[in-house]
Amino acid sequence: MSSLEKYITEAALEVFASMIFIEITPGAPLTGRDDTIDSNLTSMIGLAGDLRGVLAVHCPEEAAKGITGAMLGMDLDEIDEDVKDAIGEIANMVAGGLKTALLSEGTAIELAIPTTAVGKSIRTSGFTGAFRFIIPFTTPAGDFGIELRYVTS
Amino acid sequence: MEDFSDIIPKIVEATQEIFTGMVMMEISLDGEPLAEIGTMKNSITGMVGLAGTRKGMLAVHFPNSLALAITTSFLGMEVEEMNEDVQDAIGEIANMLGGNVKTILSDKGRDIQLSLPSTISGEEYTFMSQNEVDQIVLPFKAPAGVFFVELELER
Repeated sequence: MSSLEKYITEAALEVFASMIFIEITPGAPLTGRDDTIDSNLTSMIGLAGDLRGVLAVHCPEEAAKGITGAMLGMDLDEIDEDVKDAIGEIANMVAGGLKTALLSEGTAIELAIPTTAVGKSIRTSGFTGAFRFIIPFTTPAGDFGIELRYVTS
Repeated sequence: MEDFSDIIPKIVEATQEIFTGMVMMEISLDGEPLAEIGTMKNSITGMVGLAGTRKGMLAVHFPNSLALAITTSFLGMEVEEMNEDVQDAIGEIANMLGGNVKTILSDKGRDIQLSLPSTISGEEYTFMSQNEVDQIVLPFKAPAGVFFVELELER
């Protein structure tokens, strides 16, 4: 596992341990060109500075509602403002964890703002020349993935 | 609320410059700015994040048919399906426009940095921004359809 893969996995585990309180198990990073995670809700946040990139949290509907429900202690019937805010905040906090970890090795990045797209089988893509990986996660509330696309300067 | 009245003419000018100079397509503003974009159908969105003294996101939203026409004109070769060439072209338009917005918002663009551009596409999707942002959506008309430029800035 590369250090970026490790930083993102650790940041996600930390966010779940401090805010969501459900079991979460990381899987092996997916690095294939055609590897994707089904998504009905994707929260993205841009990264700028020594590493230019985009971090995206991809959730099928079940996971988006289940994770938000666990975080807020309530049941959710549909993807609403609460779900968008919760997954957007997870993207923001995982990116914040990555920023802190990178700074400890002398790589400085700044974060943009999280934006969320909701839809049916939405596809994301990045710049063809960028590096890319997805960490899949399993939780009792549903499975989801965190993707990083980046170039180093 | 962010006052976009000074910024809007500059974004319009930058968008027209990119389309005239790089895409080889004449475009014009198509009506008044909108408060939000609504649901996109059979579309592709290119976006780039802004970080630094101003944090935000710049997005360009195109229907698939217009995205194909733009990519064809931009690359100078016929593109008939929504493939990587289209994703790269739409991401690059977001990137170029983000570069201009950076200099519009900050003297010489020194204090703002851009993230990597990315695209979202699909049959039907809706963008939802976080609560602490102001946003503006500008509609533009191109020969092959209407598209939107959206700027979100954190308060």
